[in-house]
Amino acid sequence: MALSGMVAYAAAVTVDKPTGFIGALATAAEDFIAVFNKGGSVLLSLMGGILPTLIVLLTAVNALVRLIGAEKIENLGTIAARPGIRYYPVRYMLLPFVSVFMLTNPMAYTMGRFLPERLKPAFYDSAVSFVHPILGIFPHANPGELFVYLGIAAGIQQLGYGLGDLAVRYLLVGLVVIFIRGIVTEAITAKMMSRAAKAA
Amino acid sequence: MDGLTALVVKIGRAVGGVVGTLYQAGRDSVDTVIRNVIPFMAFISFIIGLILTTGIGDVIAKALKGSASSLPGLLLISIVCAIPILSPLLGPGAVIAQIVGTLIGVEIGKGNIPAQYSLPALFAINPQVGCDFIPVGLALGEAEPETVEIGVPAVLFSRVITGPLSVVIAYFASFGLYSASK
Repeated sequence: MALSGMVAYAAAVTVDKPTGFIGALATAAEDFIAVFNKGGSVLLSLMGGILPTLIVLLTAVNALVRLIGAEKIENLGTIAARPGIRYYPVRYMLLPFVSVFMLTNPMAYTMGRFLPERLKPAFYDSAVSFVHPILGIFPHANPGELFVYLGIAAGIQQLGYGLGDLAVRYLLVGLVVIFIRGIVTEAITAKMMSRAAKAA
Repeated sequence: MDGLTALVVKIGRAVGGVVGTLYQAGRDSVDTVIRNVIPFMAFISFIIGLILTTGIGDVIAKALKGSASSLPGLLLISIVCAIPILSPLLGPGAVIAQIVGTLIGVEIGKGNIPAQYSLPALFAINPQVGCDFIPVGLALGEAEPETVEIGVPAVLFSRVITGPLSVVIAYFASFGLYSASK
């Protein structure tokens, strides 16, 4: 702000617009600093708008996870390992959601250790695909990659629309997608494993 | 008297534990914000500043407007991102997804891309999520080396199918999203 103030002040005092070589330099300098003035105001609006909420939310959820204890979700891992079609939603929707929420990226993938080898790639695929759809509502899960969601959400915000609709739909569609992804990857893994077993 | 002392000690410990946990949680969040969030915000702000003040924005706008505001265009983005050779290269730190997301966000804000496309776009820019991290992620899940050997191509091939599929699902799920105000 100080810089833009100075530039504005200088512009107000100068009676004639600078011409010639020096004038070109001056214009170039103003254009140069304009990029960073704009960037600075974007940074300020990001930090003023999102950061306070984010810090408070992160603190609350971190405290919640610590008080509950991450080891409590281990039972869910053993349930998800059970065979049978009705455990598919547990394995590729519930377990990834709970793991990513409680353990966050990248520790969420450690929950794969409760599953048999043939299911591990599918679980990884499912869990890693959920570290962004969860960001709209629970940014604590992956704060380092917030802008996958926030970049597009910023445009929506600029239009003056609420973000709730987008955040909820992103989360729900994300759940459907990771479910499909888990099933597809499990099938591909099974096929490749049987082919490798035949070759051996 | 001993009973009272024991009670006081017990309460004191419990309260201390909760306060300690909350304080540690606060410390962790501020640490995360300073280490991971603010640096990326600074970087993104610079890019946005560059786009908004220079002519680069118009070039990107033209390129994105064609591809990011129609279903076939978004499908094309997702297919490119899901190519098994490209996807591990596009993955690291989700940097590419974050930059492209920001570019699309700027265009949505300017009204060049309909707001409704924000949802399918979120999936179109991200079929490569975690493709760079498969061996590490599987190792965190204590997978055997043989599983990793098969798991890496299995996930990469799966993305070729599920990447574009996720865009189609998101496209149909986006009906009614921000459309009443148009």
